[in-house]
Amino acid sequence: MYAAIHIPNATAQMSSELKLVADSFSPLVEITSVDTVALPVTPLRQLIGPPHQIASEIARRAAERGLTGNIGIAATPDTAILAARNLAGVTIIPRGGESKYLGDFRLETLPIDIETYQILDRWGIRTLADFSALPDDGIMARLGSAAAYLQHLARGTADRPLRPATPGTSYEERFELEHELSLLEPLLFILSRLLTELTTRLNSHSMATTHLRLTLELVDAAAHERTLQLPFPTRDARTMLKLLQLDLEAHPPAAPVSAVTLAVTPVEPRIVQNGLYVPPAPEPEQLELTLTKIRSMVGEGNAGTPQLLNTHRPGAWRMDPVITSESQPVLRITRDTRLAFRYFSPVLKARVELRDSRPSRLFADHLYGNVIAVAGPWRTCGDWWTTDPWDRDDWDIGLNNGGLYRIFLNRPAAAWFVEGSYD
Amino acid sequence: MTEYIELHARSAFSFLEGASLPEEMATVCAEMESPAMALLDVDNVSGAPRYYLAAKTLGITAHMGAEITAEDGCRYPLLVENRRGYQNLCRLITSMKLRAPKGEARASESELREFSQGLVCLTGGADGPLAAALQNKSGQSCIDRMIDIYGRGSVYAELQRHLSRDEEARNQAVLALARSNKLPLLATNGVCHAAPAARELFDVLTCVHHHTTIAEAGRLLARNAERHLKHPREMTRLFADLPEAVSNTVELSSRLAFTLANLGYRFPPYPVPDGDTMDSFLRKRTEEGARLRYRPYHGKARRQIERELALIEKLQLAGYFLIVWDIVEFCRREGILVQGRGSAANSAVCYSLGITAVDPVGMELLFERFLSEERGEWPDIDLDLPSGDDRERAIQYVYQRHGQRGAAMTANVITYRGRSAARDVGKVLGFDARELERLSSVVPHWGWKDPAVSAETVFRDAGFHTENRRIHKFLELFTAIQDLPRHLGQHSGGLVICQGLLDEVVPLEPATMPGRVVIQWDKEDCADLGLIKVDLLGLGMMAVLKDSIRIIHDVYDEDVDLAHLPSDDPTVYDALQRADTVGMFQVESRAQMSCLPRLRPKRFYDIVVQVAIIRPGPIVGKMLHPYLKRRQGLEKAECLHPLLEPVLRRTLGVPLFQEQLLRMAMIVAGFSGGEAEELRRAFGFKRSEARMSEVEVKLRQGMDANGITGDVQDVIIQSITSFALYGFPESHAASFALIAYASAYLKCHYLAAFTAAILNNQPMGFYSPSTLVKDAQRHGLRVLPVDVTKSMWECTVVKNEDAYELRLGLNYVRGLRKASGESIVEVRTRALFADLSDFVRRLPQLNKEDLRCLAEIGALNYVEAGRASHRRDALWHAEAAMRPAGPLLEDADAHRELAPLAQMRLEERVHADYKGTGLTIGRHPMALRRAELNQRDVWPAASLKHARDGQWVRVAGSVICRQRPGTAKGFVFLSLEDETGISNAIVTPDVFDANKLTIVGSPYLLVEGVLQNQQNVISIRAQRLESLAFNDPEVRSKDFS
Repeated sequence: MYAAIHIPNATAQMSSELKLVADSFSPLVEITSVDTVALPVTPLRQLIGPPHQIASEIARRAAERGLTGNIGIAATPDTAILAARNLAGVTIIPRGGESKYLGDFRLETLPIDIETYQILDRWGIRTLADFSALPDDGIMARLGSAAAYLQHLARGTADRPLRPATPGTSYEERFELEHELSLLEPLLFILSRLLTELTTRLNSHSMATTHLRLTLELVDAAAHERTLQLPFPTRDARTMLKLLQLDLEAHPPAAPVSAVTLAVTPVEPRIVQNGLYVPPAPEPEQLELTLTKIRSMVGEGNAGTPQLLNTHRPGAWRMDPVITSESQPVLRITRDTRLAFRYFSPVLKARVELRDSRPSRLFADHLYGNVIAVAGPWRTCGDWWTTDPWDRDDWDIGLNNGGLYRIFLNRPAAAWFVEGSYD
Repeated sequence: MTEYIELHARSAFSFLEGASLPEEMATVCAEMESPAMALLDVDNVSGAPRYYLAAKTLGITAHMGAEITAEDGCRYPLLVENRRGYQNLCRLITSMKLRAPKGEARASESELREFSQGLVCLTGGADGPLAAALQNKSGQSCIDRMIDIYGRGSVYAELQRHLSRDEEARNQAVLALARSNKLPLLATNGVCHAAPAARELFDVLTCVHHHTTIAEAGRLLARNAERHLKHPREMTRLFADLPEAVSNTVELSSRLAFTLANLGYRFPPYPVPDGDTMDSFLRKRTEEGARLRYRPYHGKARRQIERELALIEKLQLAGYFLIVWDIVEFCRREGILVQGRGSAANSAVCYSLGITAVDPVGMELLFERFLSEERGEWPDIDLDLPSGDDRERAIQYVYQRHGQRGAAMTANVITYRGRSAARDVGKVLGFDARELERLSSVVPHWGWKDPAVSAETVFRDAGFHTENRRIHKFLELFTAIQDLPRHLGQHSGGLVICQGLLDEVVPLEPATMPGRVVIQWDKEDCADLGLIKVDLLGLGMMAVLKDSIRIIHDVYDEDVDLAHLPSDDPTVYDALQRADTVGMFQVESRAQMSCLPRLRPKRFYDIVVQVAIIRPGPIVGKMLHPYLKRRQGLEKAECLHPLLEPVLRRTLGVPLFQEQLLRMAMIVAGFSGGEAEELRRAFGFKRSEARMSEVEVKLRQGMDANGITGDVQDVIIQSITSFALYGFPESHAASFALIAYASAYLKCHYLAAFTAAILNNQPMGFYSPSTLVKDAQRHGLRVLPVDVTKSMWECTVVKNEDAYELRLGLNYVRGLRKASGESIVEVRTRALFADLSDFVRRLPQLNKEDLRCLAEIGALNYVEAGRASHRRDALWHAEAAMRPAGPLLEDADAHRELAPLAQMRLEERVHADYKGTGLTIGRHPMALRRAELNQRDVWPAASLKHARDGQWVRVAGSVICRQRPGTAKGFVFLSLEDETGISNAIVTPDVFDANKLTIVGSPYLLVEGVLQNQQNVISIRAQRLESLAFNDPEVRSKDFS
């Protein structure tokens, strides 16, 4: 005999509670779906009693955990599941009495594919009783073995072994400290130990990781969470430890640590096979360590690979992570060299005198002079559909001090700026 | 004297690569006092006629040209210098277009060389050939090649300045090359839109073109808004350092002598026997025809024909008439029904030549409406042909007769409207699928739009925050994109014929249909430029008439001659008077049905009036009710003025037709026929204030001279001017009335044949097949189901003793392909089917769904000879037959004769019928609910005639039509069908607004309200509407504006 427990509209929380209820009766629990579990109850007869007592006990323990739902007990797991899903309260179906209970169920209650459903619907088959009444060989000949199995389900005669859930591999380690830690060094010892555990596990499963999540529980009951996203899969504990160290140096917890949890997300490992003609690059682990050091010095978002944005907006770029994959684009050096441009950040406010609508004198912080050469205006405007449109005229000017500068007029604001200089 | 002329401008006819209409560009040019501009659209000249006409009106010279895409993707800007150049441009475009799939045309270098004479080539802007060559450091060889192709004097180094660094760097390179090659410089602005503000729309179109969103388009978008038409002064200032580049524009403009005024189009002459001229040949054919048509050939007809022939001779139009006659003769020889429509029916020559079927002399129609000396236009002859194969044969005949390059279909410019605009703009602005659906659902897609309501109001009312920047931008762009061309389609039937090569007059493109070519101009453009067009229009009802006649000949063994139907058949007039007109041409709509019992047609001319009266003209002009009242004797039939008595007498003093207003102008103001036609055009769709007031002054002067003054003058003016816009030509109404009468005659006397024919020619007309079948059944026709052992592909008529019955064809089986259906017929002709297995085995082309559908609708019930099964029996056996079970199970059913499945219930059968065929020959779904409806006091449609006017009633039915006509100020008309007939409900705008979702979304409705019975026209003024939640099949409704 099997029992199925079904909690209508179960949330994730209720689902895990449901599993715990089932686990309290049997080590062999099938998680049929998020709202339904099934378990064998024959062994419970000796412990608890006949099926109705087993059902009552299940209901009681479920209620203890705040769950209310349906319980079906039948000779096969699927019949028990059908009963739990479609009949309210407790239903105990004696062997041989399945058709009496299941017959009125609509066809949709079966796990049926749409084509088979449509065929049966055309045949006027609406209930499991209708379906059960059709000849087995006729169904097998017309709709194949899958439908024949469905017919067994409809009759309550489809038997199958239970598919109990097996515990999965966890990639999370937790360490509770007897005494709180306020220094980084001892914390690193703990982290090293946890990382060794995790990387051993990753190794044994032929996996690596790109994602570390460190949770430090603090004495003030707060939690200090750090996440490291690695640009390459690795299981090198030393590198990860160094990265965590740099990160914690840059972002130390606000209070002493009372517990440490470290989790990694397993991914397929990196295939290390460099191309014969690919120029040698730094080891990715070393590069990431260096970048992390730089980031900790210059600040997040200020180190990486600058990437020009696909827009006409002058000076529009963003900082992307450094690409370390083999598909890294090869830098093309064209012979069509241009002047290098040095951006001022922030741009300098300026006052510009015009003659014949062209700049003739420039006044800005530490920068002024007569314009002796001028090219422009170079006009760009865009992003008119956003709240941040731009509209500006750029001028390239040569001052009498010998410098070449780019100045621009923000047209809507009628304000001048110096954007930078040409080297 | 201007300093600069723009010689490189794209319009919206560059299809998504330009953002302003040619007319807008011409207007901006005129405002800047620029004397000329060259329009260079990408790979086409579709915008040229509109630009030319607008420019002509504004006094601007319209230079022609195009940007031609070469095989390397570069665009060659080519300007037309002379007619030879224009011909070459057209042939170049034709050549590249006809050898490539649509949208992928590229000109090869050999084509550029072959068609280079008379063209001036510019080196181009950013997408020009020189810019590309400069990237590859091959600028010099590019210049050499261009000079080699176009000649040294016809290549200009083009300089554009859109305030961009890269462009200026390129300009410097171009300048150096120009200097070293002694090429003249030419400043242009590479214009893509008329005004700077249109840049946003241009960006949107760019996104549509590249299938991306505005947020992702990046550098595909314009760098700035400088590609607009700039004032000559601004261009002079921009090129102050290169004055020759500016002055050369004026010089080159003076070199470009070609405009569309000297197009060089000639209509082909008709080949006549030796010793004949086209005039004499036409005269002979006309006289021959007249003697057959007019019996006797009376003096009045002779005089009219003589007058027409004299004018045709004077205007040298004999060739045109003979070519149309030739097409009509071809149709006659081939047994294809053909009838001229439109103003050609005003001509006795057309009538004599057999082009039209209405006697204009007998009906006193006005010839000037068709042809007049003053107008200087080609006459317009439209031929109605049965839609489908017959029309295609006629078109192919014209191709064959005039050569592939001598005839082509006219184009149809598909423009942005309503929903398409909302969808494209919304997609570009990045609205997600759900928002897009919501936005486009707000755009009214059928029926009436309140002119006082702006797009903003509509969207605000639908719950959009119009002040939100994104929505606001959407609205702006949605409004701006309206009417902009999207792509070029094919007109339904307009054929242009040319002597010699049509591709020297206008470029040709391949049409979607194999073997067809389309010119790049639409119907209006052709008319405006004097290209002669013959419209070969496919008319569904012509096909119905033809098919009916064939069925009557084959099954009834009778021959019906449409030309000699009795004109006073009482059965026909009785049906018309009772508005029993479902399926009849032009008189079947709800509005026509509501008018027929009041107008009560008694003779043919009444049908002419009936066809014309339910039109916007008489309705908007408030002519409908006065006419009906006078017809019922409730109002005196007075004319506006005694002089107008002869003109208005037959329409009881109420002007109903365009010809009447022409005659009124001729009588009261002494206008000539041509002047009167000019008046109609002045007040027609393309009305202009200046032209209208000019004509009105002339009209008043004429009336003053005839002593018609004061109020009478005002009333006549009012009547003429308001009616000119919408009036329907009497000749056209008469041609349609003939078809209407024929359809009514065939329906009344040969119901089975007519119903079979109309079912075989769907979709057409006002009603769906289910309504047509139910109507025929109510008229006593027995309709037999689809049966694979009896049905042909099409619906057929079978004789059963003395009765004629309709057998539904396999064409009504949903999803069944024609080839599969025809093979069923072919296979069974060889030998009858033994059983279902035999059927399935011999028809491997039928897929599972075909077989299931056939079984479900009962079409397999009689497959096994001598044994009838039921639908589920067939479903059970069909399922086994289509799935070879293998040796183990093949005998599984051998011991079982019948399927273990229960027979379908009546409701299930009806449901399966609608699902599988879209109709049922069994009981109407409403009949199955009658008991329940009776309990709710719902009146069957047929019993409404017994209800009192003003009585509160309930009706219910499947919605077969929803209508919100533009003339009805927001009123909605619903037609509901039940098992007894059709009932009509009128929904006021406020009731509609309150029940919008119910009305638009429910297949079955219950309507409650006050019954109105006005002269046997019954309708319910809806007060309450309820969706009937039946688990019944959805009967398809037809919704109209």
